[in-house]
Amino acid sequence: MKTSIEELDGKLVATLEGELDTAAAIEVEKELQPLFNSEGRDVVIECEKLEYIASSGLRILLGILKSAKAAGSKVILRNLNEDIRNVFKLTGLISLFEVE
Amino acid sequence: MKPLSQIIRSSRVRNGLTLVVIAALLLELTTAVQYYYFHRVLERELEHRAETELRMKAILIKGMLNKTEQLLRDYSYDIVDSIHNPDVVSDVLLFMVNANPDVLSAGMAFTPGRYPGRGRLFEPFAKVENGRSTLRQLAGPDHDYTKMPFYAKTLENGYPTWADPYLDVASYNGKDTLITTYSMPIVDHRGDTAGVFAIDISLEWLSDTLNARHAYPSSFDLLLTEGGELVCYPNALHINAEDVPQVHRLINDSTVERHLSGSGRSKVIDFRSENNGDKGYIYYANMKGKPHWQLAVVCYDKEVYGTLARMRHLLLLSMLTALVLLGLIIYRSARSERRLHLASLEQERIGSELRIARELQMTMLPPAERPAFPSRTDIDTCALLLPAREVGGDLLDYFIRDEKLYFCIGDVSGKGVPSALVMSVVHALFCSSTSHDSNPAYIMQDLNVTSCRNNDSNMFVTFFIGVLDLPTGRLRYCNAGHEIPILVGDEVSLLPVKANLPLGVIEDFHYEMQEIELKPGSTLFLYTDGLTEAMDKEHRQMGLERPMAVLRAFCGMEQTTPGMMVDAVRDAVKSFVGGAEQSDDLTLMAVRYTPSDHQLTLADTLMLTNELSQVPVLNDFVARITSQLQMEPSLAHQFKLAVEEAVVNVIDYAYPVGTTGQIQVDAMSDGSALKFVISDSGKAFDPTEGGRVDTTLTAEERPIGGLGIFLVRELMDSINYERVDGKNILTIKKKFKP
Repeated sequence: MKTSIEELDGKLVATLEGELDTAAAIEVEKELQPLFNSEGRDVVIECEKLEYIASSGLRILLGILKSAKAAGSKVILRNLNEDIRNVFKLTGLISLFEVE
Repeated sequence: MKPLSQIIRSSRVRNGLTLVVIAALLLELTTAVQYYYFHRVLERELEHRAETELRMKAILIKGMLNKTEQLLRDYSYDIVDSIHNPDVVSDVLLFMVNANPDVLSAGMAFTPGRYPGRGRLFEPFAKVENGRSTLRQLAGPDHDYTKMPFYAKTLENGYPTWADPYLDVASYNGKDTLITTYSMPIVDHRGDTAGVFAIDISLEWLSDTLNARHAYPSSFDLLLTEGGELVCYPNALHINAEDVPQVHRLINDSTVERHLSGSGRSKVIDFRSENNGDKGYIYYANMKGKPHWQLAVVCYDKEVYGTLARMRHLLLLSMLTALVLLGLIIYRSARSERRLHLASLEQERIGSELRIARELQMTMLPPAERPAFPSRTDIDTCALLLPAREVGGDLLDYFIRDEKLYFCIGDVSGKGVPSALVMSVVHALFCSSTSHDSNPAYIMQDLNVTSCRNNDSNMFVTFFIGVLDLPTGRLRYCNAGHEIPILVGDEVSLLPVKANLPLGVIEDFHYEMQEIELKPGSTLFLYTDGLTEAMDKEHRQMGLERPMAVLRAFCGMEQTTPGMMVDAVRDAVKSFVGGAEQSDDLTLMAVRYTPSDHQLTLADTLMLTNELSQVPVLNDFVARITSQLQMEPSLAHQFKLAVEEAVVNVIDYAYPVGTTGQIQVDAMSDGSALKFVISDSGKAFDPTEGGRVDTTLTAEERPIGGLGIFLVRELMDSINYERVDGKNILTIKKKFKP
C-alpha cells in the first residue's frame, strides 16, 4: 500500500495505490494526517490505483471528510473502480463525497 | 337536532308531508260534503219552520177574525129582525158593544132615506169609551158614509168585507190603536138592501200573536194589507226592528214583480241587511181566504246556519289539531327514522373499520405463500389464522434472519377488538425484540415486562417463541403458558415444554429457555386453543387427540409440506364442528425442517491469531479460495471484504486487549455457494445484534465506525451467529452461481 500527497492548484491531492485493508489502514491513517488539516483547501483522493478498501479505510476517508467539511472545503474522490464504488454505494458514503 | 329544511329534504319527510296534504284534502272534502248536507237539512228546516210559522199565524189570525165574522153574523139577525125600528137597532148595537169587549164600536149605516124621519143619512153608532158605552148618530154633512170604503165597497161586493187595518189616532181611549172594520150588507125580509152593518175591532192582539213565537229567536213577523200597507211589525225594541222598512220594500217590490210577471207566488226573498250586513230570508204568503192580508216572517242566516257555522269551525279546529298532530307524528317518526339511519350508518362505519382492522391484522401475518421461502429447500412453514370475529386476539409470525427461523404463536385472552389491540402490541414487541436478541427466553422476558407494565385491563397472553438455527437444526424455544406444540417426526409427540406463566401476569417472572435438536424431516405443529376447544353442536370439544391422529398420517412421509398438514387439521376441525358457529379464533402453524446434505466440493481451513497483521494472510486465503472456485472478480472482491470485516470484528472484540487468541476460518463450498465459518473461543459476542447503519445521514451526522458488520450483511446472502460449547460461531454465506 502506497500513499503520496502533493499540492496542486491549491488543492491537496492524495494518491492511494494498492490494497487498503485493515492492517494497512493504521499506516495509511498516519500518512494521510495532513489531509485532516486541509486549512480550507479542497482535498482530492486519487483512487485510480486503489484496488481494495475495507471499512477501516472508509473510516479514514470519512474522518478526512468531516474535518474538511468543518473547514468548509470539499473532498473529491477520483477514478474509483467499480468494486470500490459499489462499497461506497452500499454504505451510502457515495452521496457524501464529491465523486469524479 | 337537524335543521327543519334538512329534514324536509329527506324523502321520508316529503312522503310525510304529502300524506298530511292528502289527509287535509280528504278531511276538507268530508267536511265540505258534511257542510253541504247539513246546509241542505237546515235549509229545509228553515223552509219548514217559516212555513209552519206563517201557517200557524195565519190560522191564529183567521181564528180571531172568524170570531168577529161570527159575531157580526149573529147580530145581523137581530138587526134584520129589528130593522123596522131604528131605535131597536140602536139598542142592539149598544148591547153588542157592551157584551163584546173585542168590539170597539158597532154601527149601522142605513141606505140613504131608509127612515125619512131620521134624515137622508142615518147611522146609529155605539162605542165604548172609558168603560162607558155611548150611542150616537154619526152621519152628517161631514160624515157621508156613502162615500166611505166600508159602505161603498161592501155594498159593491154584496158580501161581508174586511177593510184594511189602519191606525186610528185617538179615536179610542186617547191612544193609537190598530183597528180594522168588518162590515156586511143587511138585507131586510123583503129582500131590500137596508144598509151596511159594520164593527170596528182592535187588532192589538194581532201584534201579540205575531210576535209571540218565532221560528228563530231574532226572527220577526210582518202583516201587510193586500195592497202592501204595513199593518203590524215588531216594536222598536226588537233587535232587527231597523230592517223592517227594507223588508217591507222588498216584499212590495217582489209583489209588483209577481203581479207583472203573472207567475206563481214568490215565497222567499234573500236579502242582506242594509243596517248591519246580516244575511236574511223573507218568507211571505197571502192568508188563505179573506181578507187577503200578507204575512211575512224574516229569518236570519246566522241563526239558521249558526249551528252549522259553529260546527264547521269546530270541525275545522279539530281537523287542524288532527293535522298538526299527524304532522308531528310524521316529523317525529322521520326523525327517529333518521336516527335509525344514522345508527345503521354508524354500524356500517364500525363494520367497515373492523374490516379495515382485519385487513391490517392480516397484513401483519407473514405472507401466505406456499412454500413460505421459495428460495430455500431446508425450511418451510405454513400458517393459518381464522378469527372468530372480524379481528382476533391470536397472533403468529415467522421470518428468517441470519440463518435463523424466528417464529411465534400466541393467544390474547378474550376476543374481538381489545384482544386484537393487545395482539398488535405484542407482535410489534416481538419484532423489535428479535432484532437484537436471538435468545427466546430474553425475548419472552422483554415481552413480559412490557406486557405487565401496560396491562391496566388485566389481559394476558399465552405465547410460544421458537428460534430454529437453520444450519444446525438447533431449536431454542420458550413457552409462556401456551398450548404445547406437537412434534411430527417418525412419530407424533408433544414437544417437551415447561409451561411457565403467560405474558402480562408477573413482571419479574423468570422465563426458561429450552432447547432440542430438530431432526431433518421433522415438523413442529403449533396451534392455539381454538383448535383443542373447537366445539361441535353438542358443545363437545375437539381435544388434542383428534388433531394428533390427523398428524400421525404424516409421520415419516418425505414428500409432504406444512401446508398439507395445516389443511388436514383445518379440515378435521371443520368436519368436527359441523354447522356450529366458530367459538374462538383458530390458529395453526407448521414448521418443517428439511436440511439438505451438502456435497462439499471444497473445504479449507485457516488458523489465525487475533492480530491485525494477520489480515493480509486472511485476504490471501480468501483470494485463493475464490480463484479455486473460478469466481468472477467482483464477487471475489465481495467475499474478500466480507470475510475481512467479519474476522477483524473478532480480532477487535473477542479477546481482552493484550491476550492472544485463536481464530479459525473454515471455507466450504458445494460448488454454487461459498460459506465461511469463523470460530473463536473468546467471550460470547453476537455481531449480528449490531450492524445497523443509517445510510441516509449527512457527513456530520455519520458515526465513524459501525460499517464492518453492516457491510457483511449487505454483501452476503446470510449471516448467522451461534454460541456453541463456549465458542462464538459466525457463519457467512453467499451463492456465487445460480
